[in-house]
Amino acid sequence: MRSIDVHAHITPQCFWRATQNGGDWHTIRREQDARGREYSISGDSQGQLPPKSSWTPEQRLADMDSLGVDVQVVSTYAGFYNYHLEAPIAIATSRDANNEVGEMAKAWPERFASLATLPMQDVNSAISELERVMYQLDFKGAMINDNVNGHQLDEPEFLPFWKAAEAMGAMILFHQGGGTLVSSRIRRYHLPNSIGNLADRVVTFASLVMGGVMDACPDLKICLSHGGGYVCHGIGRMDRSWETRAAIRANISEPPSAYLRRFYYDTIVYTEPALRFLIDTVGADRVVFGTDWPYDMAQDWPVSWIFGLESITGEEKELILWKNLERLLGL
Amino acid sequence: MRSIDVHAHLAPQCMLSTVDSGGEWHGLRLENGDGPGQLVGHGRHIPLFPPHLRYSPEQRIQDMDQQGTDVQVVSIHMPLVGYHLDPAEGLGLAREVNDEISSMTKRWPDRFAGLATLPVQDVDVAIGELERAVTELGLKGAALDTVVNASNWDEELFLPLFKAAEQLGALLFYHPQPNNNLISQQVNDKYAFGNSIGVPLEDALVVAALIFGGVLEKCPDLKVCVAHGGGPACFGMGRMDHAWQVRSEARINIQRPPSTYLNRMYYDTVTNSEPVLRFLIDTVGIDRVVLGSDWPFVGWDPSPAGWVQNLESLTQEEKDKILWQNLEALLGLPS
Repeated sequence: MRSIDVHAHITPQCFWRATQNGGDWHTIRREQDARGREYSISGDSQGQLPPKSSWTPEQRLADMDSLGVDVQVVSTYAGFYNYHLEAPIAIATSRDANNEVGEMAKAWPERFASLATLPMQDVNSAISELERVMYQLDFKGAMINDNVNGHQLDEPEFLPFWKAAEAMGAMILFHQGGGTLVSSRIRRYHLPNSIGNLADRVVTFASLVMGGVMDACPDLKICLSHGGGYVCHGIGRMDRSWETRAAIRANISEPPSAYLRRFYYDTIVYTEPALRFLIDTVGADRVVFGTDWPYDMAQDWPVSWIFGLESITGEEKELILWKNLERLLGL
Repeated sequence: MRSIDVHAHLAPQCMLSTVDSGGEWHGLRLENGDGPGQLVGHGRHIPLFPPHLRYSPEQRIQDMDQQGTDVQVVSIHMPLVGYHLDPAEGLGLAREVNDEISSMTKRWPDRFAGLATLPVQDVDVAIGELERAVTELGLKGAALDTVVNASNWDEELFLPLFKAAEQLGALLFYHPQPNNNLISQQVNDKYAFGNSIGVPLEDALVVAALIFGGVLEKCPDLKVCVAHGGGPACFGMGRMDHAWQVRSEARINIQRPPSTYLNRMYYDTVTNSEPVLRFLIDTVGIDRVVLGSDWPFVGWDPSPAGWVQNLESLTQEEKDKILWQNLEALLGLPS
């Protein structure tokens, strides 16, 4: 059985090289704290870089072999979205990172496929960069944040982006970067991540559905990371909201649940009952394997975890581990 | 067979009579527009909708008969709690509401039990009113918003209130505000995400705050019920468990995984879906799930008890526990 991982990040070597002797990578710096932990400093935000994030592709491949991951669909670390910086900086970091990811996929075509990072604060530049990587570098799509500097992705300014992604057949993976909606409420106990990621994802789903993006772009390919967060659990209340509110029905003629199967969802839900619930809600052909490599929130031994699940059939495991992504991304 | 509903709201008659005659009720006035009107004050807008919100106790009982609900555990319509008021004003509001709920339970003891509202903007004052509500008024506990102004419930200042509730055997029923919560504040609310996404998110946040904050650890006998089935807390607990494993800041107050505390609380059936209710039961245990209706807001089924009764994935024994046995035992209601 193969395994293709839709959710695997890279902190590109070009960043590590540029910041090696206190230098910067398009204004982005690197610092160490007293305990030797590495941080990237991008404008007024900082992100912790786990030890594996500096690994070379060869080291990454050795770890993939150990985990049993055949193919990583590689996406640049969300801390480098850089939407909050001047657009030219984000354009430059996107091009650099994308070129490196593209080189990896070219050097190891059996082991890596590529997702771009895009300067979403400048929609035209984001479209141009997506075109460049899709047509010249054989990328499979892009990973973007759940919002762009607080703007939801259903706002009219983003419609050209959605139309372009649809026309190119690019898959868009949603993944939070920096803080989440929960960050403004409570920062303790890692809740901005453990609850916030899942909350951001359901807002993205609901915005794209109720904002009419999914209707406007019927062939758009969207993957929601972290199992789509609270989407499948909370869909009943969203349907109820649609039933009772004319303002929502004015935008979409079917209830939100009718759109569940328009999206893909990764397997990062941690428990067998939650994964079973996700499959039962959206269908086994809509669930794809993901690991969140190389972060601490990644599931341990994700391939053998799927193998060992008793409530998932062998056929479902094949779909989830590789068949769905092979078809979706044309691998 | 009985049905006891833990989740039933009240817009008190004392408030309605004041604002209907043009008066101001703890900072709220009635603005009559084209529709049912809304309460306005302190920058808030609280729609008086649906019309059932105005029902007298007699009308409410008629509606309960139609819904097939034997007993409502009545609590305030949460947008009215007034946590932003100064404590003296907040106490005045709470006393009026609690006296009214108490009088309903005394006049119709077979049909109503009650939960107090508390001026938690001042914890000492809130404790005093909880004691009065439970020991003098016969209420069963209190209904609380999931956030107090900007404070979360894991904060140290609330611990005396939890200790007092534990001592009194009072149930704390958590319920967020539909139009004033994290999502309605942070996201463009043109599609009413505050209600559809924000409400269950708030429920999950309060579950997390009580667990990770060590409240359940410090108050082993505390009785807590969270509305809307606790939102996605049970579904999303795997990620919280993982965060507890890998992040020291998640282990400050608890030495066991957060999921092991889930079955310390109660959750109502306002889940909008049979698979979600089944998932909740399988996660927290059948002894921890209780009937809720969200009265007067008409849910996905006109009869909350009838909905439970007709579910195919639940046994009759499970239905009996959910519909009345669990709440009868939890609240010590006469059988």
